[in-house]
This record gives sequence, C-alpha cells and structure tokens, in this order.
Amino acid sequence: MSARAPEADRRAPLGVITEYSPELPLVNLSLSLRVGSELDPPGKEGLSEVLMRLMRRNAGGRDADDNDRIVDRLGGSLGADVAPSTMGFHASVIARSYQEFVKLLCDTLGEPRFQADEFERLKREIHGELIESLDNDRSLGRRWFRKRLFAGHPYGRPVSGTPESLERLELADALELYQHALVRENLICAFAGEVSPDRAEASAQALRDTLRQGQRSETTSESPRTPDGRRLVIVDKPDRTQTQLLIGCLGTHPKDLDHTALHVANTIFGGTFTARLTQEVRAKRGWSYGAYSSLPFDRCRHAFSMWTHPKADDAGPCLKLELDMLEQWVNQGVTQEELAWAKRYLVRSHAFALDTAAKRVSLKLDAELYQLPPGYYQEYESRVQAVTLDQANDAVRSRISADNLLVTIVGTASDIQGPVEAAIDRLSGSEVVPFDDLS
Amino acid sequence: MRAQVESTAQGGSANGDARQPRLDKLNAEAPRYGKVTHLGTLPFGPALKIERFTLNNGLSVLLVEDHAAPVVAYHVWFRVGSRHERQGKTGLAHLFEHLMFNEVEGLPAGEFDRKMEEAGAESNASTWLDWTQYNEAIPKDQLSLVIELEALRMSRLVLREPQVASEKEVVANERRYRVDDDVEGAVNELLWKTAFQTHAYHWPTIGWMSDIEGFTVDDCVDFYRTYYSPNNATVVVVGDVSEAQLLRELSAAYGEIPPAELPLEDVRPEPPQVDERRVEVTQPTTTQKLVVGYKSPGIGDFDHPALSLLSEVLFGGRASRVYKRLVRDLELCSEVRAFLGPFRDPGLFEIFASARGEHTAEEILKVIDEEMAKVREAPPNADEIDRARARLELGLVAGLETADGKASTIGFYETVLGDPSASFTRLEGMARINQSDLLRAARRYLVESGRSLVLVRPQLATEEEAA
Repeated sequence: MSARAPEADRRAPLGVITEYSPELPLVNLSLSLRVGSELDPPGKEGLSEVLMRLMRRNAGGRDADDNDRIVDRLGGSLGADVAPSTMGFHASVIARSYQEFVKLLCDTLGEPRFQADEFERLKREIHGELIESLDNDRSLGRRWFRKRLFAGHPYGRPVSGTPESLERLELADALELYQHALVRENLICAFAGEVSPDRAEASAQALRDTLRQGQRSETTSESPRTPDGRRLVIVDKPDRTQTQLLIGCLGTHPKDLDHTALHVANTIFGGTFTARLTQEVRAKRGWSYGAYSSLPFDRCRHAFSMWTHPKADDAGPCLKLELDMLEQWVNQGVTQEELAWAKRYLVRSHAFALDTAAKRVSLKLDAELYQLPPGYYQEYESRVQAVTLDQANDAVRSRISADNLLVTIVGTASDIQGPVEAAIDRLSGSEVVPFDDLS
Repeated sequence: MRAQVESTAQGGSANGDARQPRLDKLNAEAPRYGKVTHLGTLPFGPALKIERFTLNNGLSVLLVEDHAAPVVAYHVWFRVGSRHERQGKTGLAHLFEHLMFNEVEGLPAGEFDRKMEEAGAESNASTWLDWTQYNEAIPKDQLSLVIELEALRMSRLVLREPQVASEKEVVANERRYRVDDDVEGAVNELLWKTAFQTHAYHWPTIGWMSDIEGFTVDDCVDFYRTYYSPNNATVVVVGDVSEAQLLRELSAAYGEIPPAELPLEDVRPEPPQVDERRVEVTQPTTTQKLVVGYKSPGIGDFDHPALSLLSEVLFGGRASRVYKRLVRDLELCSEVRAFLGPFRDPGLFEIFASARGEHTAEEILKVIDEEMAKVREAPPNADEIDRARARLELGLVAGLETADGKASTIGFYETVLGDPSASFTRLEGMARINQSDLLRAARRYLVESGRSLVLVRPQLATEEEAA
C-alpha cells in the first residue's frame, strides 16, 4: 500500500515554532500532531503507536534497515511518541546533516510504505515489549492506576495496546488512521538549535507539503469521572520485598481558574524534596526512597497522584500516614509561610524551564498542542506570585478529594492485603489483580 | 602544571590580561588556605574554554564562562567512590551522598535543601565506582548561597545517630527498589560480583544490604574526615558568572578549610581472567535473560575508544549487527543493549538481553558468539565505523546543551582522567581509529575466556503461558 500525499497546497495555516541557537552544532526537531491514541478505535488500542513506528521504519518506501542506517550515518536520532492527546516524532541531528535529515523526515511523514510483513513484525515486537514491561513494578503500578482512575475514558486505555488489541490490528486500520490524522492542519513543526528561522520555516513548509489537506481534529473527549469512594487495587506479584504505592484522584485542567493555585499548593504538599510528603515519609521515617505528588495536565482533566515505594512491612503504616496527610492538606490547607516559600522556589526555578533553546521551543509547542490559555508560560511567574493563601487552599478543597480516591499498590498480596486494607478508613471497594493481566 | 594545559594567563583575553594583578590583590587579603593560582586554559569544544585554578588547600577549580542563559551549574566532585571502601563497609561512599544533604553546623536537618530550593536550585548527587559528585543548577543571582552551603558541608557536616539511622533506612529502600526487586539490577550486581574477585569493583556502589544495616556513626565520621577534604575535590562552575567574583567568593568560603592527609589507595588489581565464568539463577520474571560481561580496559586506555566504536557497531541502535539479528531478524529478543564501563581501572563491557516468549538465553548467546567471532575475524567496514562515530558525536553534543550537562562532562573527565576536556579529545581521537585498532580491540577483549555470564531463568509464567 502507498500513502503518497497529493500536490502541495500552501493555503493552509503553517504551524511552525523556531528558535535559533548557535551554541552547539545541533538541531532538535519535533513533528507533532494535535491528535493521539484517543483516536484508536475501541478494541484496537495500540494502533497509533504501530502507525507512528511503522512510518519511521518504512519512510520513503525504503526498508527499516536502510532507514536506521541513514539516521545513524547522519548523526541523528529519530523516535516516535504517542500519548492520548498527541503523537509525532522527535529528532536530533548534528547540524551539518540537517538538510539531508529533513528529507528523511519528509519521507517519514509523506511517503511511508505500509508493508504487511513489517506491520506484523512490529505488532510482535510491541507484544514482546508489553511482556517485558511486567518486570517493571513502577510501570505496572502506573498502568493499573491509569486504567482504574480513568476507566471508560481514553486516558485509561493503554497507549501500546494489549496482546488482544494488537492481534486485532490490520494494515488497513493503520492506513485509515494515517489518512485521517496525518493532515497538514494537525501538524506542528518545532525547531531549536543551529538552524535559522528562515531555513526552519522552509523545512516546515516542505514537511507540511508532504501531507494532505484535511480537517483539523478536535478533541471530543469529556473529562474523566471522579472515583466513587475509596477504592483499592492490589496488583499481585510474587516475591516482592517492596511495594509501589500510588494514591490519587482527578487533578487539574490548564483552563481552571484555580489551576495555578493548585499547582502552588501541590508544590508544598509533594512537589519538591523538602515538601511535606518527602519530609514525613522519607526524611523522618526512612520509609521510601522516593516520595512525591504530581499534577500533570493534558487536554482533559488529568490526575493528582502521590507516589512512594515502602518495603512490604511498612506499606500499611505508610499508606495510613499518606492518607492522613492528604486529609490534613485538604481540610487545613497550607500556611502563609509555606506559600511564600513555594512561590520563591517556583519563580526562581522557572529559569530551568527556559535555559536552552530546545526547552523554550518545547514550552511553545506544549502551548499549541494542549491549547493552553494565552500567556500560559510567558506569564507563569506573575501568576504564581499572585496566588493568595485563600486561593491555594480553596483550590485544594475543591479539586482534591480525600474521600473519593484510588489506591493502587504493587506487591505480594498475601503479605500486604490485610495491613493495606486496614490502613484505609471507609474503604468502599477492594480488588486483587494478577500482575500479568495486560488486558 | 598539567601536561594538557595549553596556555597560561598571558592568553591575551580581557580576563587573561587583568587576571594576575587581580589574583595578587585577592591573595593579599585571602584567608590562610584561600590563595588562588591560575594553572592554565584549555579549550572545551570550538567555542568555550576551561580556566583551571587551585586554592592553596589543594581544591581544584574549573570554570567555563558561558553566558547563553542566566543560570549556573555548580558541581563538586570528590575523588572517592565505592572502590575506596573495604569488605564489610560497602556502600559507605553512597550513604554519604545521602548524609551530605542532612544536618550541617548551624543548619538543622532539612534546612540545607530548603535553602537550596528557596533559591530555585535543582540539586542532586550521585556515586559510582570511582567518584561521588554533588550538583546544583541555580539562577545566576543565587551563586553566593550555593558556594557558602557547599563549602559548609565539605567541612561542617553533623553526623549523629538519628541522621545516620534514618538515611540507612532510606538507602535500604533504595536498594530494594534498584536491586532486590529489580531483575536487571539484581543480575547486574551478580555479574560484577562474579567477574571481579579481587578488585574493589567486586561490590556494588549501593553496598550489600548487611553492610548498609551495620554502619555506625563512627564509620561515617572516619570516612568523612578521610575523604571529604578540599585536596580531594574539584569544583566545576559553568554558566553566567564573572571569574573575578567567583574566585573571590570561593577563596572566602573554602579558604579556612585545611587540606587532609589522603590515605594511599589500597585497591588490588584484578588478576587476568583465563576462563569463562557462568552463573545460572532464577528470578521473578516471565522471560529468560542473558547478561554477559567481557573484561574491558580502563577509560584512559588506548583501546577504550576503539571498544566504544565496536560497541556501537554491534549494539548501538536498531541498525547495529547484534540488535538487528536478535530483535529484528530472528525475533529472539525484546531488548538488547550494551554498555562499556567508563571506569578508571579495567571494568566490563556489559551486554543485557531479554528473550522473547519461550526463547532461551542459550539461543541468544549463540548469536552473540557468532557476531563476536566475526569481529575477531575481520573488522567492521568503513560505513559501519562512520555510523558509529556519528552516533557517539551526537551523544556528546546532545549532552552539552545545558550548563549542567557541560559541568557533568567536565567534572567526570577531570575526576577519572585528570583531563577536563577529554570528551572532545576522545572524539577527535576516534577519527584516527582505524580498522586495525578495532580488530586488535576485538581480539584482545571480546573473547570467551575473559567473560562472565549470568543466565536468568524465569520463576513466573504469564497467564498466556500458563494457559
């Protein structure tokens, strides 16, 4: 099958972000689409990932070995990224090979060959990677946390698919997704490094011209539903001396009026090494090497989560402590002193979001891809400075729930189930799932 | 003065012309150990240069002025790693990486980090076989605070029972996370334990669990007094700084710290390995794994860059020989990768392979053996070597994007090789490596008698397999 694009049409708007930096003979490139794995049809999870990786392999009608050799010879790297809301390619190349590398990217976008044997090989490879992922307890915990917290929502579906969904994928599915998603209107090109804006824009035009004109995809997903009560999932894996513990609920959306206030409050609770969570769990008790809370964003409301990994014997007490801390945070909020400290940290450390051309371009790209409010990054420091104590505490009270939450723990169920269930007051549901359930 | 120094203060730059009178003035007022000497200037890539200084307590200072962004990377590298430990006290160097963030005189536990974070610093630390390093990335206007705090913890660390007990527990949990409950971590530890029977590379940097549990406050105090001294350290500063101000502040902050008498390093060389060593274990995993470690040269050895290129030819990326055969063509593996140790003494060229489905470690080993035999028989062709060089060049350049990346590169090569710009000289040297060098390296190192193997049998079956 072939997916060659029609003749160029230069009327469509050009999505290009550039930043010139002559410091190093290096160019970083991102070719990002405004759509991601949420487009995978139900039961065909993994399709977007297979498509992106297939495009990279069979670019220009060449076979995968040839393309791998070209990437290496040019001093480049080229990887495919897939997330629920976005997908695309990220690349780096030594500046002297830039022009030739852009030709390879044009082939990747506009002239992938949809070859049946490569498609089937790729499915088998991803299946092998899914089995391999069973060795990683942290990744197992995150997989089940997302699956249960976002049940029924695209964020809860596995981006790389399941053994069953991979089996169902057919080459025609990939071609159909390519024709639907790989259109000029969905493409944003970003360039950082030793490439002038004029040259980058010409490259973006060339890349865009490889694609068809089509409809810009709009996100249709609604916000995920809040968990009902306090639920526990134990991912049962034999012979664990330690657990992987995730506690969370729904979090924030960049368009929330209290988005920045919640971000500041989370910094105090678990966002840094001296935050409450690290101090209580790690510094005072030594129960876990890592202890953090996070608040990522996406196009729909995403998760708030706390992560620790206490040894099996400490799992119950550690979980109880974390739930108590969560309740205290929600009910009593943060102090003025903590707020002032967090603002200083966030404003000063923002320098490290901007210290390279690649990072600055990445922020601009995020603003486009996630449709962030105008000035999201440019006005970040002033927005943080403006957060008041009441705003921070109201944000925690209204967005974070200590009553409706999900606890996911990877460990040996026979060792931890009793203490863990006992640690959760008002537990409304508990299940034990086998670690190798990849459904 | 070190051999690689290219020029001294008479370099003709604005800094160079003004430097000596400025240093004379600074030294006239400096504290006892705070007198600064400029030792020379080194190129760091095409655009930057490293200025090398020393204080008269032996503290080395390497400075790269880089005004690309209003930030500074401040690293302190100590020439102490797990190789300096002894049996029964393994993991002490790594425990220190934790303790150094705890209490210092005048600052209760937690205050060090709190002040760093309030300044907007990103701070961390790491320990390996040959070294321990502490790093901060900071907005440029916060440099003074970091200098003050780093100097304070070099000389005024408080080591008491509660801090030591708590950090021992944290390290034990780190070990469970990275080793005991991690198949690859556990197998890697077993590989080094098998391959090294005399040298200190035998034990893991994180230490054996029984040693971690047994550390006392006295162990920690002894270790601190022995190794945490200015004459055992290098401060690397990269970023938007003024040389004059930096030297003034370093002199004031570190100038009261006396040098220590450093002990002789009591490391015994590993005797040559003459027979393959093979260990078989079961692990809680669903597929077989194979880990191979070929004895490899130290990073300063002439053969090390040649072996780096061979590693890329064989395992670097999807087009490499072994990856292509095992993952793509034969579909025996879901993952294959290799790593050539960047260590001062001879280490290991490690290969990790994870089997797909029911395939076995023996099947994987057969393919690896075939490919090793080929590179011992005939060197890679010119195209393969060019691709390997290009991959290594990209890796180097991409690692230098941030001030922190530059400081890491400089500090690492200074500590391990005594040459802070060695990353670039190594890359230039690779352009001169020819097929004969690769053939010699393959025949010298990629031999069965010099390797150790760990074959991992799965203890678990997936639901699919059970059915």
